[in-house]
Amino acid sequence: MIFLTVIARLADGLPLAASIQEDEQSGRDLQHYQSQAKQLLRKLDAQSPDRCMLEAGNMNFCYFISQGVCCLCLCDASFPKKMAFGYLEDLHNEFCEQYGKRVPAVTRPYSFIEFDTYIQKTKKSYVDSRARRNLSSVSTELQDVQRIMVANIEEVLQRGEALSGNQFGVKPQPVDQLSDSS
Amino acid sequence: MSTAGFNSQNGTGTGQTYTNGPSQNPVALQQPPGVGYGMNHQPAYNPMQAKVLGPPSPALYASGPYQPVPPGPQLGSYPPPPAQPLLTRPQIGVLPSHTPPQSASPGPGPRQAQATPPAQATPPPPAVTSTSYYTGPPAWQYAAPWGPAPNHVNPAAAAPPHMSHGSAQLPGPGAPPTSIHGYPQPGTAPPPMNPPPPHTYQPNRPAYGPPPTAPPAGPPGATGTPPPPKVDAQCWRAASSARPPTEPDTQEGDVECPGDVAGNGPQAPNSYNHVDNRMAGAAQPGPPGRHLGHYPSLPPGYQNTLAPPPSSLHPALQAATLPYTQGPQPYQQQPGGPGPDQLSPSMAAMSLQSGTPEALRVVNLLQERNLLPPAPVPAPTPCLTQDLQKLNCSPEVFRCTLTSIPQTQSLLNKAKLPLGLLLHPFKDLSLPVVTSSTIVRCRSCRTYINPFVSFLDQRRWKCNLCYRVNDVPEEFMYNPVSRSYGEPHKRPEVQNATIEFIAPSEYMLRPPQPAVYLFVLDVSHNAVETGYLSVFCQSLLDNIKALPGDSRTKVGFITFDSTIHFYNLQEGLSQPQMLIVSDIEDIFLPTPDSLLVNLNECKELVQDLLKSLPNLFEKTMETQSALGSALQAAFKLLSPTGGRMSVFQTQLPNLGVGALQSREDPNQRASAKDVQHLSPATDFYKKLALDCSGQQVAVDLFLLSAQYCDLASLGCISRFSAGSVYYYPSYHHQHNPAQVERFQRDLKRYLTRKIGFEAVMRIRCTKGLSIHTFHGNFFVRSTDLLSLPNVNPDAGFAVQMSIEENLDDMQVVSFQAALLYTSSKGERRIRVHTMCLPVVSSLSDVFAGADVQAVTGLLACMAVDRSVTSSLSDARDAMTNAAIDSLSSYRQSALTIQQPGLLAPACLRLFPLYILALLKQKAFRTGTSTRLDERVFAMYQLKYQPLAFAMLIIHPALYRLDDLSDEGALNINERTIPQPRVLQLSVEKLSREGAFLMDAGLVMYLWIGRNCHQNFLSQVLGVSSYAAVPEKLCLLPELDTAESQRTRALVSWLRDQRPFFPSLHIIRDESQLKPHFMQNMIEDRTESALSYYEFLLHLQQQISK
Repeated sequence: MIFLTVIARLADGLPLAASIQEDEQSGRDLQHYQSQAKQLLRKLDAQSPDRCMLEAGNMNFCYFISQGVCCLCLCDASFPKKMAFGYLEDLHNEFCEQYGKRVPAVTRPYSFIEFDTYIQKTKKSYVDSRARRNLSSVSTELQDVQRIMVANIEEVLQRGEALSGNQFGVKPQPVDQLSDSS
Repeated sequence: MSTAGFNSQNGTGTGQTYTNGPSQNPVALQQPPGVGYGMNHQPAYNPMQAKVLGPPSPALYASGPYQPVPPGPQLGSYPPPPAQPLLTRPQIGVLPSHTPPQSASPGPGPRQAQATPPAQATPPPPAVTSTSYYTGPPAWQYAAPWGPAPNHVNPAAAAPPHMSHGSAQLPGPGAPPTSIHGYPQPGTAPPPMNPPPPHTYQPNRPAYGPPPTAPPAGPPGATGTPPPPKVDAQCWRAASSARPPTEPDTQEGDVECPGDVAGNGPQAPNSYNHVDNRMAGAAQPGPPGRHLGHYPSLPPGYQNTLAPPPSSLHPALQAATLPYTQGPQPYQQQPGGPGPDQLSPSMAAMSLQSGTPEALRVVNLLQERNLLPPAPVPAPTPCLTQDLQKLNCSPEVFRCTLTSIPQTQSLLNKAKLPLGLLLHPFKDLSLPVVTSSTIVRCRSCRTYINPFVSFLDQRRWKCNLCYRVNDVPEEFMYNPVSRSYGEPHKRPEVQNATIEFIAPSEYMLRPPQPAVYLFVLDVSHNAVETGYLSVFCQSLLDNIKALPGDSRTKVGFITFDSTIHFYNLQEGLSQPQMLIVSDIEDIFLPTPDSLLVNLNECKELVQDLLKSLPNLFEKTMETQSALGSALQAAFKLLSPTGGRMSVFQTQLPNLGVGALQSREDPNQRASAKDVQHLSPATDFYKKLALDCSGQQVAVDLFLLSAQYCDLASLGCISRFSAGSVYYYPSYHHQHNPAQVERFQRDLKRYLTRKIGFEAVMRIRCTKGLSIHTFHGNFFVRSTDLLSLPNVNPDAGFAVQMSIEENLDDMQVVSFQAALLYTSSKGERRIRVHTMCLPVVSSLSDVFAGADVQAVTGLLACMAVDRSVTSSLSDARDAMTNAAIDSLSSYRQSALTIQQPGLLAPACLRLFPLYILALLKQKAFRTGTSTRLDERVFAMYQLKYQPLAFAMLIIHPALYRLDDLSDEGALNINERTIPQPRVLQLSVEKLSREGAFLMDAGLVMYLWIGRNCHQNFLSQVLGVSSYAAVPEKLCLLPELDTAESQRTRALVSWLRDQRPFFPSLHIIRDESQLKPHFMQNMIEDRTESALSYYEFLLHLQQQISK
């Protein structure tokens, strides 16, 4: 399940588009995660690793940076990493195609909030287990997903400095992924 | 519970909750039983007042501050003073009746004694103006000893006056410098300021006996010269001898004054200032003309009086003012130490602009019948320097009941006028929008930077609310408008009192949500009978593209009778799918995902549904209504995103949760006794509204019904969720075409108007002032944060304030309303309005700044609360008492010369009329048949409508239409709109030969006289004779005649100015609606209510008790 998706400008962390799944049944309060996401986006810069997963309790933040645009999502810890990054790349491609040229000029937060509609549709296709089958291509395209760094969100946020590659405490890869790493 | 909740207005659902309540309650608690909201202030503040008032000399509107000035202490001090005042009073009062000379002499005598010496010492003109302003205060302070306790409260204030008094004579010479300071500025604004002092003066003087000098001096002078003129003459001499140069300046203003003085021997002192101003005004182009028009009779009268000693009078006036001024001057300088410079400018401004003088002109309401201005009453202009006033917030957005804020709570108590703000914050406006990564706000109180802050230097600004000094951020140094650097004071934020910021992401709790509109429709048999459904569906079809929003906009529909019906509109379906949930006890959403759909993507399905909906239930026999469950379902549907819920209801909900029973006894509709059931029967709707508010859902209620629906209960769903209520009594698609048209027009506006989501509003005011009660539709979160899940451009708000700390050192105070909202396009914006008002220390200045419409509007809100928490009769008494109290306070404390009659300052001359209008308004009337729902709706309207519209609802405008001409017409977009004068609401203004339009806000009546000119009948109505006017005519035919065009232009112009659609009824004498028309003839007597004149007599009687 993907609960929160934010697309932001890397340079200053300005949010450009977002989508939130407020789940009435689960009654989850996403406020805390939202503020973590905001902080994280402000810390990311050009030196940060372009793909990373940050653990936050039983949830994970995943982000993907390219062309000065950062796509971030919050998902269940059980949500497959491949899916998450496939989803982010998908969003990123579409977003940059639609709005990429305008990104550097905007000043208002959520200037491209209308992208929400696309985000929701895409999310559906990644989250819905029946629809996932159509996304088999994802796994092959993301061969390098195992090399993605993993860190803890609290540690990252508390470090107080800009997030960059060598600051990450690179944790050992999860066991299930070790086999693929080489 | 229900009552409690209601009364607190927007209390929170939980425990203490009612945020509003707390503030209100304190007052109520303090005050004795009967006295509920500030209005009745029994607890009495001043002994004096109490005496005057008689029965309820309620504690004014003051809430908290009030206590500090408790009767006890005052009483203690009081005894000595009262004796004096009383003594003096009688004399004064008598004087007028006696011969002019006597009255004149006493006044002048004292003046001279004290005043003259100083006058000589100082340069006259400047001194006058500057001093005059200040004089006011001192005078009052003097007065304090004898009567008005308020001043006592303020030790500082009280002390100075004495000082000044003593000093006035001696220091007079020393004063010059001060006067000089004052001079330049005052010069421009000379006379107006003076008025206050004189008023205070005389009363004080006489009473004043204490100062030994005054009495002796006064008499001699008076005796020496002929009564009125003498006094003046003396003063004049002194002044003239002292300094000729000043005279000219003063003269301009004062010239006219003498006349007044002469006219009303005793009055002279009081009136002349006013008069002067008025006269001065007359000389000038603008304002005077109007005044003259209003009071044609006055000028002549004054002139006559003037005749005797015109030339000498002049001087007299000057002299009078001078002395005062001098006295005050010392005072001013001393106390004001820091701010003389600042003060003088503001003073000057005051005098210039002003209306002050005219505002204080004494009007005997019993004698002057034609008080209604020929055009709508304009908002008073605060007495600020032109520079400040130029920047000030528009009165359409922000109004204060007192445009001059009293310095202390005790002074406010003394004036017996309510202090509060009326706002129309989201009014449709074009305003500057600023995008900036940092929004500059005070670090301490979070005030937004505004035109009334001061820049200490380029790098620091001082907050005008809390006085903290803040740094100017680097970014603010650059001015994007002029593209220059280093001029922070020229930034748009500092140049506009109304401005909008694009908020950075810190102002968002979550990403902007899409605009979501959910429609909840009653489809029971009753609803189908009214035929509203087809009108609604057609309206929505017509306007669906104009719904505010962007590509994310979502819509959904729920219909209900005894069951709840959902509509699956998911993309890909070939047609809408209806899902019926019959388990109304435990409501659930049959398919959470596809009930709210993207309007762009599913437009065809939505349109299909709207086309088929009216037919779907055509044959229904289901009579029950499970409104409560439908609302719960709708709430669940909207919870994740928030949004707007539009509920259409046609009958009393009678099934499931929230079911109600009829509480109205039709036999009691015309009862003169108290009206029952004004408070909700259940807290279900309020609780649900609070849940909605928490999830950013607002509920708008459209009630279309011929029967009782218990609006008092149902209305809570909108009231606490910041929704709006529309009511169409007796709606029927065939029988009531006027209502149908109104419904259509209202719907169009409703569907297409601007909307803000997830809004909050906070109102801040300068330290020392405190807001304690809010009126309008919203929920109060965290004491002063108004939670507005939706905000619409047609909603008005009001707040009551008290003065918790004396505003001693302040020349001005500011108020700031900040409204944070998300636009329908997903932009988070902050709209900020800032208003600046002067602080005054004399009672006459307070009266001079009274905004009678704002006072009336606020009183109406307070009376609604009172009706619900206490009783209707209490509310009616409180309103009457408000008029009695303020006028008696004016008579006793602000008026220097007593004369018979019911006296009011010109600015409050309409006050008794408006109060009477309120007493006869649907909301508060008794003895006239009024349906409970209509009464409750009228109450909602009084609280919800912005002031301009509320005033029309309270006091309709009457125009004569059969003789419309283009004279004075407006020209708007090449259309000529005639501007007939507003007539008094009395049958005596009607004529059988004429046709009259009554504009009562939500409804208009065009009454055709029996012998109406043939020309009007044929050229405007297109009928051959009076008898041929159809019984139910609601439309003016579009005839190609000049008369028809003029008439239609006027009616449509009146309609265009308001955001709702008033239906027009063309009526004859025989029409069923004629009683409605006649009930609005407020000045006339009815079997159950007093005529205006009788009401005035009643007030007078109470005041002289």
